[in-house]
Amino acid sequence: MKLFIGGACQGKRVYAETVTGITEWIDGNVCEYDEIYSCKAMTHFHMYVRRCMEEKKDVSELAEHIIERNPDVVLVANEIGYGVVPVEAFERNYRETFGRICTKLAAYSSEVHRVVCGLGTVIKHD
Amino acid sequence: MIHLVTGGSGSGKSAFAESCILDFGPAQRIYIATMYPFDEESHRKIARHREMRKSKAFDTIECFTGLEQVDIPGGANVLLECMSNLVANEMYQEAGAHEETVAAVMRGVRHVAESAGNLVIVSNEIFSDGVEYDAETRRYQEYLGKINCEIARVADRVSEVVYGIVVEAKEIG
Repeated sequence: MKLFIGGACQGKRVYAETVTGITEWIDGNVCEYDEIYSCKAMTHFHMYVRRCMEEKKDVSELAEHIIERNPDVVLVANEIGYGVVPVEAFERNYRETFGRICTKLAAYSSEVHRVVCGLGTVIKHD
Repeated sequence: MIHLVTGGSGSGKSAFAESCILDFGPAQRIYIATMYPFDEESHRKIARHREMRKSKAFDTIECFTGLEQVDIPGGANVLLECMSNLVANEMYQEAGAHEETVAAVMRGVRHVAESAGNLVIVSNEIFSDGVEYDAETRRYQEYLGKINCEIARVADRVSEVVYGIVVEAKEIG
């Protein structure tokens, strides 16, 4: 598994393409829910999680399921949770839940890259 | 030594900070809890943190405001969690320091650091988001930002936790 994280609009996907050679992506904004378990690579993974939560799907073991069923997947996600704690309960829950999911995935990943201005820093490499 | 641990929401800051305290060895462990239990969500958070450190032999001291009044046994290893709550309490609670928050908190940090063997402080990154906040929230960001910078200046070590990965920002010695 490889994880590419960073702020919005930082060129994460393009950077990830140059690192991994992957050119086929599915989009977490619009994909089917089960595609997370069959795809090679997903962009907007944070939106995938958000959509699941908006539809009240159980995401408490999402990280474990991805690790078990699609251990080589490449995920690109916005790094969220760096703003003032939101007033709305859903937003608070979303950012914390997404953080916990990414923490589990990062622990499993062989590589984690953090992208700023299109430039990646490898923050984990096995 | 002073060790500042910061990071975003749900990134594993607490787990890392607790492991740092355990690495300091068997001296007395003190947990300074700053979250004021005002609703069900905060009770849930507090319960979760208690569960996390249950087997780690911490003595808990609650401190919602007035850190400089807290007396620490000499040589104890202290985990203060977290600065973002302490700052909000100082700003908004009746007993708080209000406009004097930054100075009061820094006096408290120096006071605790003087008697503690090691002090690990958990703070929070709340500064990067494309949202226009109201003046009061901006002031909260300003105070916490200043405090984070001042602690980082005197700290021996500053770590940012990114989804459980420790990114070192400052290391002395």
